[in-house]
Amino acid sequence: MSVPYRTSSPFGPPRRTGRKDTALFALSVAVATLFLLGPPGWGVATARAIRGTVLVPFLWLQGEGERARTLRSRFEAVEAQRDSAAWAAQALPALRAENDRLRALLGLTAKVPVRYHPAEVLRQAQVTDGRTLVIDAGTASGVRAFDPVVSPEGLVGVVLSAERGTAVVMTWAHPEFRVSAFTEFGGVLGVVAAAEDESGESQMLELRGVAYRDTVAVGTLVLTSGLGGVYPRGVPIGRVVEVAREQRGWERVYRVRPEANLGAVAHVLVLSGAEGTDLQAAYAAEAAAGEEP
Amino acid sequence: MSARGGGGARPALVLVILLGLQFYVRPRLGLAHGAPDFVAIAVLLFALRARPGSAAVAGLAAGLLTDALTPARFGAGALAHTVVGYLGAWGRAVFFADNLLVTAGFFAVGTWVRNLLVLLASGTPASQMWMEAGVWSTVQALSTAVAGTVLAVLLRGWLDLRIRE
Repeated sequence: MSVPYRTSSPFGPPRRTGRKDTALFALSVAVATLFLLGPPGWGVATARAIRGTVLVPFLWLQGEGERARTLRSRFEAVEAQRDSAAWAAQALPALRAENDRLRALLGLTAKVPVRYHPAEVLRQAQVTDGRTLVIDAGTASGVRAFDPVVSPEGLVGVVLSAERGTAVVMTWAHPEFRVSAFTEFGGVLGVVAAAEDESGESQMLELRGVAYRDTVAVGTLVLTSGLGGVYPRGVPIGRVVEVAREQRGWERVYRVRPEANLGAVAHVLVLSGAEGTDLQAAYAAEAAAGEEP
Repeated sequence: MSARGGGGARPALVLVILLGLQFYVRPRLGLAHGAPDFVAIAVLLFALRARPGSAAVAGLAAGLLTDALTPARFGAGALAHTVVGYLGAWGRAVFFADNLLVTAGFFAVGTWVRNLLVLLASGTPASQMWMEAGVWSTVQALSTAVAGTVLAVLLRGWLDLRIRE
């Protein structure tokens, strides 16, 4: 390709391709390769700079679009609920008193008070969308790096980096994702990381580091343990589906089906100052009530 | 884009329109990974009328934009868009006829190859490759081909493209 040639193009006038084109191509490939193979910090810093400058108006546009879509879909629901709400408002004092009595009777635990920031997921076109998610809440809303991100179903991931109006979330599907976990009731400890489904049809997780003597039943819920100082305790991660592999009588690795579906998640909560708190009761109460936390 | 076809203003306007479609319209189509990728269309439209070297640089810029939004492996998108931009401009100058179906194929193949390169460069596990490359990338390539061809026909006057229907 270094030898210049001349050809006619149906899309435009004749053009030449030569050393200059080859040099530009080689330079572009070199820059891309440098980012690809260089220290991860370069990519993170460059991505942050691009999101904080060039992409600001377009991310704002996408956020407005998402909000408009959400508002429109909610409008009909709000209309439908309006009459019911008006009716319910008439009986509100009685309902509140009844609610208090039932809460006292059932001993429902109040939700753990944790500050959170609601955010919408801004979907991207890249095929790797899902390993990281862009959300429309940033430092202006109080979102910081390493804040846990949850959905009503369970753990989504952790904030990788935050700009003024947006943030990037590393999800559980990311190859570098790790979270300390324990099993419901049994208290078996381990580390959850992304795995692959053998069929490739869906992404799965793995519960690693489980001692060989411990056995975890299929269907057992796996929760965050709170160890490590990033995630709160008690957020559902997924359910054990099978033993993935055993390592020489030393360790057993379990395959876990995630609770939060990254393909469907549209709204998330970014938790702030959640270290050391326990959300297990909140999730359990919501699960029992069939509501969203 | 080059100075042909109304100077730099029209191509720049087309670029802004495509980015608007990417960020405002695309998320509302509700097709997830199957929705057309207007950034890929922008790179391939540029490749239709620019020199291979310029198309490679444009691909690099577009790739850095996409990598900034999905930094699963920063640089993967930049590398993929660079290669597709260069090969698109080079291959078009040598092989392509001014046919509508060939133009659609150009968008489809370009998008599919771009996705394959992103998957390879970002270290996607082999077990997920067939699903991502075989299903989702193919669906996106087809939808991008349709959208790209429609846009190429609509904007051919602005961009100096010769496409016979």
